[in-house]
Amino acid sequence: MAGQLKDKEAYQRLNYLYQAAHCVLSQNPENVELARFYCFTQKTIARRLVLRQDPSVKRTLCKKCCSLLIPGVTATTRQRRKNRKTRFTVVKCLLCGQSKTLLNNPDYCLWVDRPEAQLQQQKQPDRGPSVKNQPKDSDPDKSASSTPSTSTAGT
Amino acid sequence: MEEALVRATIPKDLVKVLGVESQTRSKADAFTQAFLKNSIQQHSRHDLKNMLTHKAVILSYTRPKKEKKRSSKKAKGLNARQKRAMKIFDIKPEHQKYKLFLPLHDLWRQYIIDLCSGLKPSCNPQFVQQKLLKADFHGAIITVVRSKCPSYVGTTGILVQEFKHIFKIITKEDKLKVIPKRNSVFSVEINGFVSHIYGSKFEQRASERSAKKFKVRGTIDL
Repeated sequence: MAGQLKDKEAYQRLNYLYQAAHCVLSQNPENVELARFYCFTQKTIARRLVLRQDPSVKRTLCKKCCSLLIPGVTATTRQRRKNRKTRFTVVKCLLCGQSKTLLNNPDYCLWVDRPEAQLQQQKQPDRGPSVKNQPKDSDPDKSASSTPSTSTAGT
Repeated sequence: MEEALVRATIPKDLVKVLGVESQTRSKADAFTQAFLKNSIQQHSRHDLKNMLTHKAVILSYTRPKKEKKRSSKKAKGLNARQKRAMKIFDIKPEHQKYKLFLPLHDLWRQYIIDLCSGLKPSCNPQFVQQKLLKADFHGAIITVVRSKCPSYVGTTGILVQEFKHIFKIITKEDKLKVIPKRNSVFSVEINGFVSHIYGSKFEQRASERSAKKFKVRGTIDL
């Protein structure tokens, strides 16, 4: 497919930008502006070329100000409850106050994971950005962000 | 006692279980400072001093506004004024050292080599140039080769941000420099390949470049 080749470069670029934002933040946690700029560029490219990104990537970006959400550095992660039963993970961006509410249900399966058999061909580029984002200097914040039930030390 | 516990490194058998590595002292300090700064509540009142220095404040009675409660949790984008207030590349990173940006450059190197599927001397230069047109240049070391303004020539540094009409680079003397793209030629060096970028043709946003097609139009004489 000719389209696949063209997309491959774009996906590599998105992946690089995502890694660069992590790299800048790991060097200097104060430098939020630069990381935000890279994520903003990433978002714009994805919008222009109509590329679908993995939910695991999208969940680490703030919807409002496009900054990278790392628990403890740029975001707070809390466990909340509604009517004593359903638990939620609330991720709040410290820069603009926008919060994400994610349901804590181990049985829940994402839409991306479900029709795997149908999307076998499109799966490989789709999975690229999320699987490969392991930069050399892997910072502990990132590995912590992958686990759904982390609570920051600020309690 | 507890102080020592907080600063203790994570034992090796736990590293594998948690997937968390211990950091070096300087990095850990930086992380702690950032964490503390973000977790301590900051009042909006503190901006008063800042406001008073810039503007004349008119004291008059205003009716208290009724605040409408918006129950929707949907993220609204920021308008241009808010972006201008937030997105400005503040002066603090200027103080940070050029060395801190070297990892970014190493990352960029790997990315370019990945993009061109192994840069070998047998590679077709045309093919590499084609790839570079759509590539991302954040983190590259660029040098101004030719320019209409002679004082720009010879400036070298790591590209930090790319806007529509300018490049922001950080030089080895830890200075942030702004270089317009128009009427200047930049060179990028990737192990063995040196490619020139004509800034006049590159006058578009970093994100637009991956989407738009380049048209052959005219020549550049500098």
